[in-house]
Amino acid sequence: MNRFKKWFIVIIIILMLIAFDSSYDAVNLNNIAVVVAMAIDTSDDNALKVTFQFTKPSSVSDTGSTEDAPSIVNTIDASSISSAINIMNSYIGKELNLSHCKLIVFSEELAVQGISDEIFTLVNDNQVRPSTNIVISKCDAKSYIENSKPILEPLITKYYEVYANSNQFTGYATDATIGTFFNSLNCDYCEPYAILGGLNSVNNTSDTTINSQKDSDIKANDSPVSGELRSENSGLAVFKDDKLVGELNAIENLSFLCTRNDIEGFLVSVPNPESADEYIDIYLTPAKNCKISVSIVNGSPYVHLDYSFTGRIYSMTQDSDYLDAEKLQRISESCNSYLESTFSSYLYKTSKELNSDINGIGNYALSNFATIPEVQDYNWDAHYKDSFFDVNVESNVKSGFLLM
Amino acid sequence: MPDTKITTKEAIMMFVTVIVSHTIVSLPSTILQNTKSATILNIIYVSILALIFAYLVYVLLKNFGGKDIMDIADYLGGRTLKIIVGTVLITYFVTGSGILLRNFCEGLKIIYFSNTNIVFIILVFIIAICITNTFEFSSNMKAISIFLPFVIASVVLLFIGNIQNFSLQRMFPILGEGFVNTFITGLGNIVAFGGISCLYLLPPLLKEPEKFKKIALSSIGFSAVYILLCTSTILFMFPFFFNVDEALPLYTAASYIEFGSFFQRLDAIFLLIWMLEICCYLSLASQFAILSFKKIANLRISKPLAFVIPLLIFAVSLLPKTFADSRFLEDVIYKYIIIVVIFILGFLLLVLANLKRKVKEGLNLKK
Repeated sequence: MNRFKKWFIVIIIILMLIAFDSSYDAVNLNNIAVVVAMAIDTSDDNALKVTFQFTKPSSVSDTGSTEDAPSIVNTIDASSISSAINIMNSYIGKELNLSHCKLIVFSEELAVQGISDEIFTLVNDNQVRPSTNIVISKCDAKSYIENSKPILEPLITKYYEVYANSNQFTGYATDATIGTFFNSLNCDYCEPYAILGGLNSVNNTSDTTINSQKDSDIKANDSPVSGELRSENSGLAVFKDDKLVGELNAIENLSFLCTRNDIEGFLVSVPNPESADEYIDIYLTPAKNCKISVSIVNGSPYVHLDYSFTGRIYSMTQDSDYLDAEKLQRISESCNSYLESTFSSYLYKTSKELNSDINGIGNYALSNFATIPEVQDYNWDAHYKDSFFDVNVESNVKSGFLLM
Repeated sequence: MPDTKITTKEAIMMFVTVIVSHTIVSLPSTILQNTKSATILNIIYVSILALIFAYLVYVLLKNFGGKDIMDIADYLGGRTLKIIVGTVLITYFVTGSGILLRNFCEGLKIIYFSNTNIVFIILVFIIAICITNTFEFSSNMKAISIFLPFVIASVVLLFIGNIQNFSLQRMFPILGEGFVNTFITGLGNIVAFGGISCLYLLPPLLKEPEKFKKIALSSIGFSAVYILLCTSTILFMFPFFFNVDEALPLYTAASYIEFGSFFQRLDAIFLLIWMLEICCYLSLASQFAILSFKKIANLRISKPLAFVIPLLIFAVSLLPKTFADSRFLEDVIYKYIIIVVIFILGFLLLVLANLKRKVKEGLNLKK
């Protein structure tokens, strides 16, 4: 019996090794091509022009140290993403692996037509992580990827890893992922959004006035930055269902993040209460989460939003005196009114102009209804454009940093 | 045989294991699709009903000392009824395990073993059950006591790790599709407590049968909290489970967990823990099936059955032609099997046996 058992175990082990061999081979490093980013454009010859950015596994040496390695970019015209992947598999003689794909870029032209099919296909692929960033590029998606060159990191993968980190303390772009995009696409009371990307090009405009407010009005493809890294992210791409309907600039994106409670701190220039034409730079951090409540008044949504911040003054002059409580109070009030007007204009832009509830305010309206048929009868989608916003900002500017 | 008896703690864990294994596969999305935003309210409601049901089962079983449902069937309708009840129970355990195994393996195939034939993936679990079946019942219960805390910890981590992705407003409108859908048709969600089947077979297996009431009520209590945790994670995270099906909903939630840039892609660990849990459930179900067969066939030795029952489970798991068929079997057919076998037939049997006992006692008193 013991002999039989031993032979049985040996046969089972051999059987299992053979059975699972093909799955092991499929993820073997020698047989896969690691895609780090994808770009999807419209094509003249076919439905889509799909660009894959690869990295060489050999760029990480045996000792674990990383070498500066250029990435490889290949493009293909195909009828769908899955077809493009299939043709590319055949072309490079390896299987494309999207497990490490950190970025998917869609061109603005394609996003206007709708990207629902592409998003559903990508989410259906179990290799695509929900944390993969989504960018809508104002230039060709391919050009965006080609110009995304890491200048401070040795590897493109590391660059994409820290890609969206600065948003947490600037608020000028958003860490929009395919996971949140897919969720919003399937949500009846919110709309999708994506990072707005482009290529920087210094525009020589005739406007030579110095105005710190101008600094936060920037958008991708239209920013005053110049440098070795040509691709840039600034602002937000706003969708209605799966179609791109508009853009937000940096300060509007900041308003979006504050409303979503998705920011750690940010710098704003608020009018100086002591001098009419001057501005003070204040670094604000949220003191409490933004509270949103929605009530239905005469059939229209009445949205009340409460924001709360603490701040420290960044800009200093020789005669600044920020130990004066009354002065700080006046600055706080100036900050409040500035932010109230900024947030209000942002919210009205999303409702009146874009008719896209990217903040998911509709979710807060749900408590006004007892059942789903009641919500469906009300039709939030049709009523969002009739919304009234009551914005209240409480900011407490405490002092400067080292200098008072 | 003292080593075949199980402690109170092991009995509670055994009960919870049955429920946990079904939540890993498709239970949370099935519940959500039934009751939508009213899911939390509905789970509280069905949990209260399950508590009442478990208490009634305790009251009805109490009068028969340490007897299980097959002994009670024997008392009520003789050997024929005992064989019928035993056969129904074996069919219930084998089909339930087979369908669950198939669905879980389909998920595994999609996620990790895309190039491997599903038969071999299923076979891995079948071999595991064959091995565990050669051990005593209490040994398997001890194994469950070791693995279950990890599974529960994984679900708690799933909840905590995804809190930043939660939108608590998704629990509104509080009544979902309406009162009828939440409280009348939503009553169907009581199938989540299919683990009640264990209660029918538990009395002779307990080291301390006097603690049966504690086992029944605590098991339902723990299971209710667990189900609430799982479904609320899915409800608060995803708006699409109302309409879109995913292979393993909890796995989808696990893929969102990231603790900074260091702890990422924890879903593989979650899946490993859940694989162990599925093994525990399958061995438990096959042990119950063996126990039932042993009883209806009056067998003293059950070792040869250690391979027969897993092979039956294997056969059932291969029956569905597609994933859609196996999901239909689990979401629709298995749901009705639970309602009929556990909540109607089992309960009816206990009520009739108690009536017979009362009538007999009455007649004895008259004499």
